[in-house]
Amino acid sequence: MAIKDKLKTHLFPTIWCPGCGIGLIMQQLASVMDEVGLDKDNTVLVTGIGCTGRMGAYMNFESVYTLHGRTLPVAEAIKTVRPELNVIVVSGDGDMASIGGNHLIHSIRRNPNITVLCNNNEIYGLTGGQTGPTTPQGTTTLSSPAGAAYSPINLQGLVNTNPNAFYAKTTVYHQGPMRKAIKEAIAWPGFSFIDIASQCIENNGRRIGFASAYEMLQQYKTEYKPGPRDATHLEPHQLGIVKGEPVTVAGAAPSGNGQGE
Amino acid sequence: MTKRLVQGNEAVLLGAIRAGAGYYAGYPISPSSEILAQASQYAAGHPEFRFLQAEDEIASANAIMGASLAGAKSFTATSGPGFSLMQEAIGYGHKIGIPAVVVNVMRVGPATGMPTMPGQGDLAQSRYGSTGDYTSFAFYPSTVAECYEYTIHAFNAAEESRSPVIILSDAFLGHLNEVVDLDEIKVPVVKRTIPPLASGGTRLFSGVATYADGEPATADSDEYIRQYEEMREMRRKVAERYAFHEFGWNKASDTLVIAFGITRRVAQPLAPYFALFRPIRIWPTLDEELGAIAPRYKKIIVIEGSDGQYANVVERMLLRRVERVPLLGGRMSLEAIREGLDRIGMLPKESSTAAAEAPAEDGAKAPAKPKAKAPAKVG
Repeated sequence: MAIKDKLKTHLFPTIWCPGCGIGLIMQQLASVMDEVGLDKDNTVLVTGIGCTGRMGAYMNFESVYTLHGRTLPVAEAIKTVRPELNVIVVSGDGDMASIGGNHLIHSIRRNPNITVLCNNNEIYGLTGGQTGPTTPQGTTTLSSPAGAAYSPINLQGLVNTNPNAFYAKTTVYHQGPMRKAIKEAIAWPGFSFIDIASQCIENNGRRIGFASAYEMLQQYKTEYKPGPRDATHLEPHQLGIVKGEPVTVAGAAPSGNGQGE
Repeated sequence: MTKRLVQGNEAVLLGAIRAGAGYYAGYPISPSSEILAQASQYAAGHPEFRFLQAEDEIASANAIMGASLAGAKSFTATSGPGFSLMQEAIGYGHKIGIPAVVVNVMRVGPATGMPTMPGQGDLAQSRYGSTGDYTSFAFYPSTVAECYEYTIHAFNAAEESRSPVIILSDAFLGHLNEVVDLDEIKVPVVKRTIPPLASGGTRLFSGVATYADGEPATADSDEYIRQYEEMREMRRKVAERYAFHEFGWNKASDTLVIAFGITRRVAQPLAPYFALFRPIRIWPTLDEELGAIAPRYKKIIVIEGSDGQYANVVERMLLRRVERVPLLGGRMSLEAIREGLDRIGMLPKESSTAAAEAPAEDGAKAPAKPKAKAPAKVG
């Protein structure tokens, strides 16, 4: 087996802009899936609206491309009905934290055994570059000419309202930590959330002064440093994993990684 | 088995279980809440039946779509604004072709409206609530026994039409208790029609317009029209097997009353004076069935719990004017019907005395057996 077996390469090139970070997530996800034995018979992808949502169409899995913001109720129901399946959610920050925010806080509370990969590009990319829930305060966007008015949502804080949840922070530049986070998240017996900083050069980067995707990646390289081992909290621009007490909620199946270990 | 008192809402749940439902998600809202509560009680004793009290109706409606794709017959129940919140997911189900059942126990709207009063004002929303064009199925029973029976039909139609089918009820019917023996009601159950997720394929279930291979077809009008017409034709054919309606009362009268759901029961004392057409399948409309009998009647009166939602539909179906008796603000009583008939000069002269003498319907007796061809595909 190889990464390309996980991908519908005949549909390439993808619709993503040159320099987009989403492909770096898909490649690493496909590679981890290959390593731990996730295939179309034991795994379902659930994706949301936004550029990231297209990922399900490019992977060799059964895939549910949901309405905007509705990945989590769909994913949870699939896991409930078919606890033997690995359910992987891939979605953007706007889909997860804004329009899907109510589902996010309640999925965190219910602790279903599903894994969420959040492509966090701090912008609504597909619609042209409007302020999102994760846009840093003061950022000029298509819908905030004077700078984004509010501070971004605290995803780590939200996820960790459940002492049993799993939160990881990484960037698309840091492929090693991203790989580790995806592997551990899939194996985690409960709700796992990977917050992946990812560049959107066309509809965010250029507007805020970056000349290329390379420059944005270089910024991730310079800004982000590994957090402490066994961290209970990550500072801004720290890479790492914050793990709660692992428990499997009543009625849910054990770890979703049955085939891979 | 035995006859016992059953509530309308309970009968819906029991019908769903009889149809093989394996997943319920919902959010409490009057007057549908008994379905949620009783589903939770059933789930406690039956681990194969999965239950979620979700954070809202948006989550509930999306969860039943995911559950259905995963392999479980699924349903939700709601009322009023909850039904509004579910419309986006209902459209998603129509686009993708997901069997599911959505129960709407109607109250008086819009907005929070009158939460405990019966209404019939969600007919248009149950047809056109989501965006775009799609073919809705909606059944509206009149009795507790029918709540059970047509919920099973709704699950069957959902499988065959691959769409979210609506069961319409109302605060009156949902909370009505009648003595019935549900075991005497035999409806064949249709098996699942779509292979569950992870059955060896790599399907993409997309709310976005796509080609068969998953590539976006978002600017291809011809492909959209091809897919839309294929779905519409498939659902039209399925609808032929679910043409549920009732034609009765005094067929020799020169006036036809159209009433459905609980309103048909309330209007029962008018039986000696009018013919009755009761659509049980509200959507798709029963153009052929109504069209065959309507020419026999000089006048048509639509009695309904909204300001003309179904009357407008009848006028469109028959291309002729109809008289209207709207029962508004939850006032769904015989008195209100008589006042409405009087306003349009259609109150039967003998009404005040003869109605009292007319054989009033036994509360436990179901209306005459409705006509419809049996579903073809059974399992």
